[in-house]
Amino acid sequence: MPRYQDLYDAVVDGDAKTAKSATERLLQQGVDAGELLSDALIPAMDEVGRRFECNEYFVPELLIAARAMKAAMELIRPKLAATGVQPVATVVIGTVKGDLHDIGKNLVAAMLEGGGFAVHDLGVDVPPERFVGAVQEKKPEILAMSALLTTTMPAMRETIQALIAAGIRDQVKVIVGGAPVTESFARDIGADGYSDTASAAVQLARRLVGK
Amino acid sequence: MLQLTLLPSGQRLAVAAGTALADLLFAHGVEFPCGGRGACCACRVRIARAAPPPTAADRRAFSEAQLAAGWRLACQHRVLADIELEIGDWTAPVLADATPLAVVPRPDCGIAIDLGTTTIAAQLVDRRCGAVLATRTALNPQARHGADIMSRLDAAARGAAEALRDAVRGELGRLCRELAALAPAPVRLVAVAGNTAMHHLFAGLDPRPLLSPPYRSPHDGERVFRDAELGWDLNGAEVRLLPCLGGFVGGDLTAGLLATALHQREGPALLVDLGTNGELVLGDRQGLLAASTAAGPAFEGAGISIGMRAASGAISAVEACDGGLRCTVLGGGPARGICGSGLVDAVAAALTLGWVLPNGRLAPGRRELPLGDGLALTARDVRQLQLAKGAIAAGIVMLCAQRGIAPSAVERVLLAGAFGNYVRIPSAVRIGLLPFAVERIAAVGNTALRGARLALHDDDAAYTALRARVAHLELHRLPGYEEAFAQAMAFPAS
Repeated sequence: MPRYQDLYDAVVDGDAKTAKSATERLLQQGVDAGELLSDALIPAMDEVGRRFECNEYFVPELLIAARAMKAAMELIRPKLAATGVQPVATVVIGTVKGDLHDIGKNLVAAMLEGGGFAVHDLGVDVPPERFVGAVQEKKPEILAMSALLTTTMPAMRETIQALIAAGIRDQVKVIVGGAPVTESFARDIGADGYSDTASAAVQLARRLVGK
Repeated sequence: MLQLTLLPSGQRLAVAAGTALADLLFAHGVEFPCGGRGACCACRVRIARAAPPPTAADRRAFSEAQLAAGWRLACQHRVLADIELEIGDWTAPVLADATPLAVVPRPDCGIAIDLGTTTIAAQLVDRRCGAVLATRTALNPQARHGADIMSRLDAAARGAAEALRDAVRGELGRLCRELAALAPAPVRLVAVAGNTAMHHLFAGLDPRPLLSPPYRSPHDGERVFRDAELGWDLNGAEVRLLPCLGGFVGGDLTAGLLATALHQREGPALLVDLGTNGELVLGDRQGLLAASTAAGPAFEGAGISIGMRAASGAISAVEACDGGLRCTVLGGGPARGICGSGLVDAVAAALTLGWVLPNGRLAPGRRELPLGDGLALTARDVRQLQLAKGAIAAGIVMLCAQRGIAPSAVERVLLAGAFGNYVRIPSAVRIGLLPFAVERIAAVGNTALRGARLALHDDDAAYTALRARVAHLELHRLPGYEEAFAQAMAFPAS
């Protein structure tokens, strides 16, 4: 039984209003923000991921759970920064050049954030040089790229080539995903990991940073 | 020369040793959606005699038992011995159209062409009275470079543009020559309607604007050619390639507007072309809104565990009966898979039986949707359908919102294209693909072909003015799209 059951339930059920009010109340009561993250939000998003994996949840449920989690995080994030709580790791994420699809990428970003990662979302249609710039600036442990079109998948390879050209390929783990992307494609372009679902992406990211 | 025998027809082809099966079979209706890379497994054939050793792609696609029975991916093999090969003997007929039209008479003949991504239909029209004198159909020869428009455009951008252009021009030229030979008066005009990708590939235009955001081409207006420019010999006939409406809403929908007179209606109506790329136009004489929405290939049976195109052995219709699902199979034999219309039916019936819940989950304790003949749909298949129908339905909801009306205020919903003709409307409504009352929806057949025929009678090309009346929307840039998509993925409760 997780602590802070009402917050946990609100996130799993995708009830953003309750998630927000429960977080407000708990913070007012003096509960530590880091504890809310580790004992309510992370287990809740893990449960959401588990339900997705066993086909109980689908994209709509993931979207509303992510929204509830974000409502809570809005309140928790400033406190985390103030109390110096360190994220699991930092992730830079974006949809590659030529591709405007962002629902899948947004879900992965939300699941990672709910999993305790600090997430910098570069948005859609991100050219290789912007990924390179963000890696240099944010020093993330992980770079996550999404592509929804077979025609934009090659931009993943271009981005990895750009990381190599900038001499920073070994400073970051690259993970890729999106409907047309496969494990063998990921291997072929020299990515460090591939995930076919948003929830598995969290497990993958944790494994790659050794946590 | 080697001999290739096609079963069950028994047709024999003399073939040079080493000829790729893909080159031979495309003309016989075997499709290569992934462009022959061994990735999509749609070109499954059974080689009844002298099957070559399986490749790695064959091993991924088939079980040991299937391999032993001769199943192979046609794209992987060449003819190296006399072989016997089984291919489907039933395919969906290409939709033609002979609806009488009111026209201004001209003293000659014309040819109207629906240039589809998969199929082509051409009609010889007597412009003196508007009558259709003959119809010819063919498969789009570009399909060898990929089934969907994005893979075709991608192939063009990677150096195949001339090959794609010449292939389709050659095929249309051949159809025109056949039809012109039957004409009682000279053929003076040819009107071609195709989606934006077909428009660009036929005209030989740069495909790159269509491959990257904002997916708009500056060259999607009407193009006019002389027969000789295209390598055709039609005694100097003019060839008009109808203008697109914007983005991926192409000349097929311009023709659709002509055929349905949507732009002349008093109250709002919606024209829907359901496909991998769904095209939508909503409006009336006040104005028109157009958008395209990427539904993916589920309606064509791709990406579904037992999916196949509408061919022999495909389950094409499913109904709830005695607490189970009863299937109709094309060609009448045992079922080999399910096509798009069967999939929509099956999930609609499963909702009625309570086997699938409104959120898309299978009911507790249910692991699959059994269809008989050892076939079943999986939970994942239902999810794939949710994504496809959610994309179309969200597009419809967003267009209505932009227009400032509720879907219930749309007076008529007109389904164009092949899938729109075959899908059962009550099932499409049951799964929430079309958020409208059943009685407002009607299939309107091949409006691209009918519109091209009308364009033959429009000497001044007045249809080019339609473009100015259409506002093209990029759905995923509109606020609230993600929300609409999420909501549209659910199935209506009843």
